[in-house]
Amino acid sequence: MQSEHSPQHDSAPPGAVSYLASVGTALPGDPVDNAALARTLGVNEEWIDVFIGTRTRHFARDLETGEVRWSLADLCARAAEQALTASGLAPHEIDFVVMGTATPDHLMPATVNHVVDQLGLDQIPTYQLQSGCAGAVQALQLGHTLVTGGGHKAGLVIGGDVCSKHLDLDRDLSSAAPSDLVNYVLFGDGAGAAVVTSTPRGERLALRTVLNRFTGLGREPGQVIDWFGLADRHEDRQAVREDYKAIEESVPTMAVEILWELLEELDWTPEDVDFLLPPQLSGRMTRRITDGLGLPDAVEVSCVADTGNNGNALPFLQLEALLGKIGQGQRALAVAVESSKWIKSGFALEKI
Amino acid sequence: MHTIDDFVRLVRDELGMPLEEYQVSADLDQLPAWDSLYLLKLVTALEQATGRSLPVGRLLEARSLGEIYQLAART
Repeated sequence: MQSEHSPQHDSAPPGAVSYLASVGTALPGDPVDNAALARTLGVNEEWIDVFIGTRTRHFARDLETGEVRWSLADLCARAAEQALTASGLAPHEIDFVVMGTATPDHLMPATVNHVVDQLGLDQIPTYQLQSGCAGAVQALQLGHTLVTGGGHKAGLVIGGDVCSKHLDLDRDLSSAAPSDLVNYVLFGDGAGAAVVTSTPRGERLALRTVLNRFTGLGREPGQVIDWFGLADRHEDRQAVREDYKAIEESVPTMAVEILWELLEELDWTPEDVDFLLPPQLSGRMTRRITDGLGLPDAVEVSCVADTGNNGNALPFLQLEALLGKIGQGQRALAVAVESSKWIKSGFALEKI
Repeated sequence: MHTIDDFVRLVRDELGMPLEEYQVSADLDQLPAWDSLYLLKLVTALEQATGRSLPVGRLLEARSLGEIYQLAART
């Protein structure tokens, strides 16, 4: 059935503004370069350089021993603690915590509750969104809604992923399907967080609008992460599947549509955008998408070539880089596409 | 891997790509499934079979599987 509703960006009052007071991030261990990754997986290093264009990534799992050094909760708590300290807010001022991830430590309890426990917070509402590359934006939207119309003054918004859960180091990749193999060279682990406030605090980045829309009606997923229980764990199903051809075809077009929708919504012209935070698929794809977005005067803020694609953490890593560059009165636009079930997302910031 | 027949067998078995004899010299664009991930699978299989590292930059100049075989055999 076709929806007759006009697009709704927000459940917050129209024109309502929230603020990002600070950002924190956590990347596990030392960066793993293409030579080390290629050696571990038994694949060609030059191919990763040419076709993925990502130079380094970080893994919570030790590539030599396979030992898990950090849980998702550990990384998210580290990022959140950094954001909280940088915000200048006291822990008791945090009214809620929202977290997005595609790779929780457990299905229950939700990882967000372990994060909150590690932070020493208690007696506050927590939310966990099961999400991919749009997850950070969805978490920001919920945070924005809670401080603009939900009666709260400040909260923590977190995103993180530990993709190395699926990095099977003992596996012979020669028999892997292309849609399986690609995941080994695209992803990394990491976490990020921001403190969202109802009045300008800390970095005083006004969140002007947030876009978050499912557009996958009738479309096959572009990315699937399966999960296994006691009854089906021995079934020969592919754990991670990426339809990289559909992604290569659709994401650049969707990114342009998101950009123009945000500009129209804000009544901004392309010249008004000082910084662009484009989708972070891989070094190579991000270059291609950014060229297609056609904002030559905007400074690109990207991280994927150094961090790998760590899903829900990416926009926070981009925001952290943005903080060092953006000046008073300057504007930034972020665009993210979740190809799982084709979610369009983005947001706009202005430093006041 | 010593002959073009060994190479064709490797493409069929290791890549799971059905390959007719005439397709060995066909332009890569004419192979329905061919893409960069199949190139990675082929490079990985060839490196395992020969024990040598292959120069991907030079393989990109090849326009057919036959040319990739020639380059791999010379490396």
